[in-house]
Amino acid sequence: MASNWTLQLHSVSFQPYVWVRKPPALAGVSQLGIGYECAGIGYGRLSFIWNRHRIGRKFLIKSAEGSGSTDSGRNVEDDEILVKSGTGGVASKDYIGKMQEMIISSPAGVLLMNKCAGNGLATGICVVTACLAIVARVYLMGKSRNNHSGSVADLVRRGQLRSDRRGISKPLKYNDPFNNPLVKVDKSNSSVQMCGKVYRLAPVTLTKEEQSIHQKRRSRAYQWKRPTMFLKEGDSIPPDVDPDTIRWIPANHPFATTASDIDEDLAQNNVYQKHGVPFRIQAEHEALQRKLEALQNEQKLNNLFIDPGSVKDFERPFKSKSKSDEQHRNPEVCCINRISLQSFVVNTHHEVSY
Amino acid sequence: MRSLQLLPNPFFFNSFHAKTLTSPIPNPKSFSRSPSFTPVKSVLQWNRKPELAGDTPRVVVITSGKGGVGKTTTTANVGISLARLGFSVVAIDADVGLRNLDLLLGLENRVNYTVVEVLNGDCRLDQALVRDKRWSNFELLCISKPRSKLPIGFGGKALVWLVDALKARQEGSPDFIIIDCPAGIDAGFITAITPANEAILVTTPDITSLRDADRVTGLLECDGIRDIKMMVNRVRTDMIKGEDMMSVLDVQEMLGLALLGVIPEDSEVIRSTNRGYPLVLNKPPTLAGLAFEQAAWRLVEQDSMTAVMVEEEPKKRGFFSFFGG
Repeated sequence: MASNWTLQLHSVSFQPYVWVRKPPALAGVSQLGIGYECAGIGYGRLSFIWNRHRIGRKFLIKSAEGSGSTDSGRNVEDDEILVKSGTGGVASKDYIGKMQEMIISSPAGVLLMNKCAGNGLATGICVVTACLAIVARVYLMGKSRNNHSGSVADLVRRGQLRSDRRGISKPLKYNDPFNNPLVKVDKSNSSVQMCGKVYRLAPVTLTKEEQSIHQKRRSRAYQWKRPTMFLKEGDSIPPDVDPDTIRWIPANHPFATTASDIDEDLAQNNVYQKHGVPFRIQAEHEALQRKLEALQNEQKLNNLFIDPGSVKDFERPFKSKSKSDEQHRNPEVCCINRISLQSFVVNTHHEVSY
Repeated sequence: MRSLQLLPNPFFFNSFHAKTLTSPIPNPKSFSRSPSFTPVKSVLQWNRKPELAGDTPRVVVITSGKGGVGKTTTTANVGISLARLGFSVVAIDADVGLRNLDLLLGLENRVNYTVVEVLNGDCRLDQALVRDKRWSNFELLCISKPRSKLPIGFGGKALVWLVDALKARQEGSPDFIIIDCPAGIDAGFITAITPANEAILVTTPDITSLRDADRVTGLLECDGIRDIKMMVNRVRTDMIKGEDMMSVLDVQEMLGLALLGVIPEDSEVIRSTNRGYPLVLNKPPTLAGLAFEQAAWRLVEQDSMTAVMVEEEPKKRGFFSFFGG
């Protein structure tokens, strides 16, 4: 409560200080007059000023009773102490009655009171609107403060980065900037007017002779042959190769390698290929095809090999019985049989092996 | 962007109008202009279509030596400008280790196959070409995926094969094949310059970039690429005026190369990079975007700048200027 009072004193009420500094005898009238002018803003202010008046009066009474000092600076100080201590809100009833009488007896105050009462609804709406605006602003400020400026989200929000739709935008039509009226050359070609400002033009003075001089200088300075052979560090130089045309590629080069798993001619054919399935896709496809065929052939062979056995499968009770007998007699043979039969039909696997 | 547009831009001055000033650099290759050509009033040559000079496909490598000077930005913007001018363009990102051209073009999600896959036979060349949906005559080809290694033994040859294969395409040869060269003079540089007939040297007006540019120019000339033009990037007139930066003419004096374009420093470059949307497509046009467009124009016509703007003249005030006239 006390802190609230302090806040209000600083933020809202500017009149009470003036009013405290006045001599106590005149304070009642002058304070009220000012207070009601302020109260035109709203009832809250009116009640507040009323309380302040009571506080001021109480202080004045106390100060008169205590030290008897009438120093205005001290009055303010004591007033603040009184407010902070929380005792200022309590005022004697007779004093309120006196004050009300004073208000009623004051014709200007009565007029203002009546005026305020007439505009109450409009004032209330204004106050509520103002409060709502303040709350909304505070909310928005807090929200914008929470956003990390410079982040990707912020860039996207500001339209500087379109992560969601990169590369998609309305293209500029070619004919659009034709004949820019902002850029004109004067008749003598010595200056140009651009965007309302005139610029001096300087001709390029480079001549063909100077260009050739520069070329000669560079040809003397930089002797270079384009490398035609790339060797890994540690490889031996072939006998018929100019060492100047060799580029040494380190083994751990980040993006270049001398090793290639593909033939040069084949690579060239791949580049030139216009239609059909690409080479590697074709090769992989063919390899898979061959593998599948091989598997199928193998299965056929297996089928052929175990065909007699599979025929025997139809005689399950007999086979299982004979097998159990064999198992008892010769466990090694049984084991071999089991392995050879593992590639057999899965459905019959268990029945065959066990 | 509008505020930027109001700023003066001294970098677009086209050679066509400046030819009356001086004619120091004859074009390396003669080309015919259309007889129906009408002189334009505007410095920016927008109200006519440029005429393609030279034999197609024009294989242009964009290189610099030094990193971070704007090779990839130049490739993307010049490439898209050429496509906007109506020419079919294939841009090859030959930066094997650190490719970024797909990001600048906003095509990173569409790169499934690269040249390495083409060489290995995992896909055909036409499957590796990424067609831009905005300008269908612009295609992107990346040389490798970031984590894969290029068999460098035939890296340069592979690009020559690619150019030959593009020439022999059913839909016709592209007009321009633009190769984005990696920084440095390593194996990637050698691979990138192998199929090129002409080169654009991108440099900034600082001594480190100029030294590298001079060396790279020497290597290109040793390799037999004679048609080299330079593009001076990130130029700031305020710093030039304060003598804190070399002027474009100083740069030209040091390197002795023909000027293809002068690109001003522009914050829109960063913005467009983040958007994955080349600068030249911005609406309204930006300063750097317009400069790139003019450079593309000169590239088509094998032209070069013959005049640059140096400083602002005080505006002539009339008698009634005192009254606001």
